[in-house]
Amino acid sequence: MHSSEGFLLGLSTGAVCLATCGPVLIPYLLAESNAVVKNFLEVGLFLSGRLVAYVLTGVITGIAGTLFLQNHVFQGFVPGIIDVILSLSLLAYAFFRFRHVCPGETSNQLAGRLGLHWPEAIPLLGGFASGLNFCPPFILAIAQASASGNIAGSVIYFVAFFAGTSLYFIPLPFIGFFRRKQSLTIIGKFAAIIAGLYFLYKGIFIIFH
Amino acid sequence: MKTTSLYSTSGKLWKSIALTLPMFLLTFVFITGGKPDFSSSSAIFSFVVTFIFFNTLFFLMLYTGKTDRFRAIGFIAMALFFALVFIVNLVKMRGSMSFSNENLLSCEIPFCHIVTTMIIIPIVLTKSIIFPGSILTGFASIASMLVIVIGISLALGRGFCSWGCFYGGWDDGTSRILRRPVIKNVNPNWRWFSFAFLLIIALSAAITLTPTYCSWFCPFKTVTEYEKITNFDTLMKTIVFVSLFLSLVIILPVLTRKRIQCGTFCPMGALMSFTNKINPFEVTIDKEKCNDCKKCIRTCPTFSMVEPGLSKGRPEITCMKCGKCIDECSQNAISYHIRGTPSGKAFTAARTLFLYPAFTLLVVFAGGNIQYGIVLLIRFFSTGSFM
Repeated sequence: MHSSEGFLLGLSTGAVCLATCGPVLIPYLLAESNAVVKNFLEVGLFLSGRLVAYVLTGVITGIAGTLFLQNHVFQGFVPGIIDVILSLSLLAYAFFRFRHVCPGETSNQLAGRLGLHWPEAIPLLGGFASGLNFCPPFILAIAQASASGNIAGSVIYFVAFFAGTSLYFIPLPFIGFFRRKQSLTIIGKFAAIIAGLYFLYKGIFIIFH
Repeated sequence: MKTTSLYSTSGKLWKSIALTLPMFLLTFVFITGGKPDFSSSSAIFSFVVTFIFFNTLFFLMLYTGKTDRFRAIGFIAMALFFALVFIVNLVKMRGSMSFSNENLLSCEIPFCHIVTTMIIIPIVLTKSIIFPGSILTGFASIASMLVIVIGISLALGRGFCSWGCFYGGWDDGTSRILRRPVIKNVNPNWRWFSFAFLLIIALSAAITLTPTYCSWFCPFKTVTEYEKITNFDTLMKTIVFVSLFLSLVIILPVLTRKRIQCGTFCPMGALMSFTNKINPFEVTIDKEKCNDCKKCIRTCPTFSMVEPGLSKGRPEITCMKCGKCIDECSQNAISYHIRGTPSGKAFTAARTLFLYPAFTLLVVFAGGNIQYGIVLLIRFFSTGSFM
């Protein structure tokens, strides 16, 4: 029951989620100019980050219900900090050239062991931060999930919500069809800067308001 | 060394006059709106001046073979008179250039073509228009502007930005103030910034369900209307758009001799660039005639002429069809062209067929404003007030 409700809520509001996550994911996909298959992996990483964020929210909702939404730390500080981190990662991505490293080269480091390298960590981090973005469908999902009254029910609700919203991300990897257009890389970098500045402003505004 | 003109109308007085005659009728219809007003001497005077002004420009385009030189005069005049007429009308209607929450709630905000970039995704998502304007009635209704924008895009592509946009004349004008640029080497990749800005503006409008560009970034609010300053938020918005106007429309165009606002920032321009691919008119470069002097690259005000484009024989997707490169090319290697017709032939026909709709567009948007603007100026100089 809960899973179908969550899925339907995700399905009905997923376009808004796509618009919310778009400023993070689309500039990255444009700038990287990867092939379609590689883009599916990147979007998969992004969605993995979102899934972790949703499961985490599901657990917190299962424990505390919607109470944490009324807490001023959750209301203001956490989304603000997340936006600032997101903005800094986008700005760093836009301004610095990250070398795509051979996995073997960094095998002794933590990132190497995890198989993650800049800028591949950007979609994962972006997905996690975007997942915790308190957009209207997300807040609605928290309210609905809290009705389950237990952690498992809440987590299932959020996983189903995640599945419903994720369908809207399926077209994004096909940006890879245009990867031979060098201009898209430049547009992606510019868009990352603008989105970075937007999230920075939003984050600071949330923290200090 | 300048070669002879490409166009058979150049230097041919009677041929140029004959081709100007249809424009007499078109200018008469569009300046008067089909309802001539000869009720006062100032109305008659302003009509005559406007009528002569436009037809002289069109005749000179044909007779001299120069496009941009005369287009720019009409285009800059349109921007200046539009601002004058718009501000005077606002002050008459509302008492000031600023609009209040009451104006927003009663949907009295005129719809400008740039808003198109922000309403598409929200229409799909919410089936509602996020702009506080009137759909069918009143001055600059949403429906009328959308029909105009779609029609012009299909007919002229991004030619709208050099022939019909009532804002473009501002930085077109300021970019001509200095004879030589102070800042010479501007990276042409900046032209892609407007596409990135379009992406973010469209998505942010979808998230917030507000026209974010109009709320925060439109430099032309400085010369049209703006939100009344009532709190810190509106103060910040005012600071942002005045700064953008000063930097993108005045200072940078003067220093670079480029249309910085139109070429690197305007999201509507980016959206219209896509329609450059689906309309009948284009600018082409004859690679055999081209002597690679790169004058067109230096001259192009919108960074649309780049070296890869020269080798491909056409400018970039961002070309606004202003005709400046065509005027400047000493080899006559650049010309207007109609898609589907043989290239390197019928230059006069292609150019004339482009000039009719493009110049008519200029008259449609500028005619009424210039005519009424002249009436306002006469009133101002005779009574000391625009009202």
